[in-house]
Amino acid sequence: MLKKRDDDPKNSVRVQKSAAETAAAGSGASVPEGHTAGPGKGLIRFVPSWMDLLWTVALLAAVTLIGLLFARLGFSEANIITVYILGVLITSILAESPAAGVISSLASVLLFNYFFIEPRFSFHTYETEYLVTFAIMLAASLTTGTLANRLKETARQSAESAFRTQVLSAKNQLLRSVSHDLRTPLTSISGNARTLVSHADQLDGETRRRIYADISGEAEWLIDVVENLLSVTRLENAPVSLPLKAELVSDVIEEALRHVSRHQDEHTLIVEPGGELLLARMDAKLIVQVLVNLINNAIAYTQTGSVIRIGAWREGDRVAVRVSDNGPGLPPDVREHLFEMYYTGKNRAGDSRRSLGLGLSLCRSIVEAHGGELTLEDGGPGCVATFTLPAEEVTIHE
Amino acid sequence: MNNRPLILVVEDDAAVRNLITTTLRTHDYRFLTASDGETAVMLASSRRPDVVLLDLGLPDTEGVEVIRRIRSWSNLPILVISARSEDDDKIEALDAGADDYLTKPFSVEEMLARLRVTERRLALMQNQEAESAVFRNGDLSIDYAARRAFLGENELRLTPIEYKLLCLLAGNIGKVLTHTFITQKIWGAGGESELASLRVFMATLRRKLEAADPTVRFIQTHIGIGYRMLRVEQEGV
Repeated sequence: MLKKRDDDPKNSVRVQKSAAETAAAGSGASVPEGHTAGPGKGLIRFVPSWMDLLWTVALLAAVTLIGLLFARLGFSEANIITVYILGVLITSILAESPAAGVISSLASVLLFNYFFIEPRFSFHTYETEYLVTFAIMLAASLTTGTLANRLKETARQSAESAFRTQVLSAKNQLLRSVSHDLRTPLTSISGNARTLVSHADQLDGETRRRIYADISGEAEWLIDVVENLLSVTRLENAPVSLPLKAELVSDVIEEALRHVSRHQDEHTLIVEPGGELLLARMDAKLIVQVLVNLINNAIAYTQTGSVIRIGAWREGDRVAVRVSDNGPGLPPDVREHLFEMYYTGKNRAGDSRRSLGLGLSLCRSIVEAHGGELTLEDGGPGCVATFTLPAEEVTIHE
Repeated sequence: MNNRPLILVVEDDAAVRNLITTTLRTHDYRFLTASDGETAVMLASSRRPDVVLLDLGLPDTEGVEVIRRIRSWSNLPILVISARSEDDDKIEALDAGADDYLTKPFSVEEMLARLRVTERRLALMQNQEAESAVFRNGDLSIDYAARRAFLGENELRLTPIEYKLLCLLAGNIGKVLTHTFITQKIWGAGGESELASLRVFMATLRRKLEAADPTVRFIQTHIGIGYRMLRVEQEGV
């Protein structure tokens, strides 16, 4: 069952090693059809790919040519050996499999023997001293290759941990603000409900109706907060196990519109045509959440009657999605604080007083986990939020 | 009022059960309640409700087990209620035979709308002659024998896959079909690339169906779950 395998975080954690592939898939590279991540993946990756072998052969050829040039110019063998070791180093850096470095090392020694040691153009050698040279050359190139691989691994790990730190800080930010975001509406809900339980008969109809409306409004706010919290838990496993799937952008926009603020009737929401057949790779739940936050922000920060437009288009190997409004826009001093947790702007329209800024920093983390970018600009007039996602190319199965 | 549908509400949480039954009462539905799976299966067989509203997190049995047991002898519509945000349990329930799902926290309006969809499906099931050669839904008609589909008077130009998809959805009108179910039926495989194809074919099929009147929604998308064809006589959901 496809669904289970891809979505189940327990399964996905197992393929932690293939983070590079996840990143490749994220950047729109082709994904093997259907049966991807299996448990044997870690082993298979040691076997060099065709691309790796191509690099290895190309570099060996280049290095040998340089060697021949050096030999003709009368440079010493030491120079040629160094060039070969350099070749191994570059191969190890470029190739994905550590095996490429080993192959390159062995081949270098053989090629060096063949092309540069008397008798030239044979694998023989007259002086036993050269056997020591070969051994040292092999050891040096193997060490170089291993070091390069280890360096690559470290770089990958630190990129991953940098991302984790970012998610973690978004999470901490969210958790810290949760006490604020949950306590305020909970105080109102429980207090109002208690009033109704014990004093319902003393309240006139108008007061009761206001209390009902307050309870319902606050509860709806709580629902939004919880949705954001859930997004963070999903994001925690990113990027390794973010279940990226090809989704129709228009479906995602439509879904988001079903979840936006109850105050949307006071605004005009327009979905611009053009995104009907756009496919992007994403975790649909999270991207719906991004759109909900952006649209809710637009609703909360613009006057009644404002127009909010949602559009999507293709941009190279990316899909861009934009939420723009014709409200007051973003003054420069606001822009600097946009992604801070409690920031709510100074002159808010409407009555809500919540820290929607929190949603924005979450949005940014989500988009970045997809390898995309979220930007907010002053549209003069209005505010323009744009984010990008990796586009999906489809092979149609007729 | 006695011909109003009888709803079996299976929910172990008293507050949510109260919410559901209060809503049903104010909208003139008849209802029965059960707070565990055993009672639910028993009531379903003895009282023959028209619709089951089933919470998936029951104290005694897995909700999916309840669906399987009811499905072993009855086709009655089952609407599952799930508290989890992950889709897996909903997909499992749909594949086990549930018709539709609601995610907590759901709004009362949403629940009533889903019940109306189910009622329309019920009405259809009762009125339909056993093996109809022509399917009708609003302006849409499918002539199964001729393998042609029409929107009003105009024939729809569908690719073979689009036609297959349309028939699959029409044959299960009102029911949410999961991605895996659909890709298995259409391509015999449920891989990542079939899923991407499915999205494209659904989009083009929908475009053709809704070209004449974009406000009419024949097909509903359920992100992360699947698709469903809606009955379009009255308002959609």
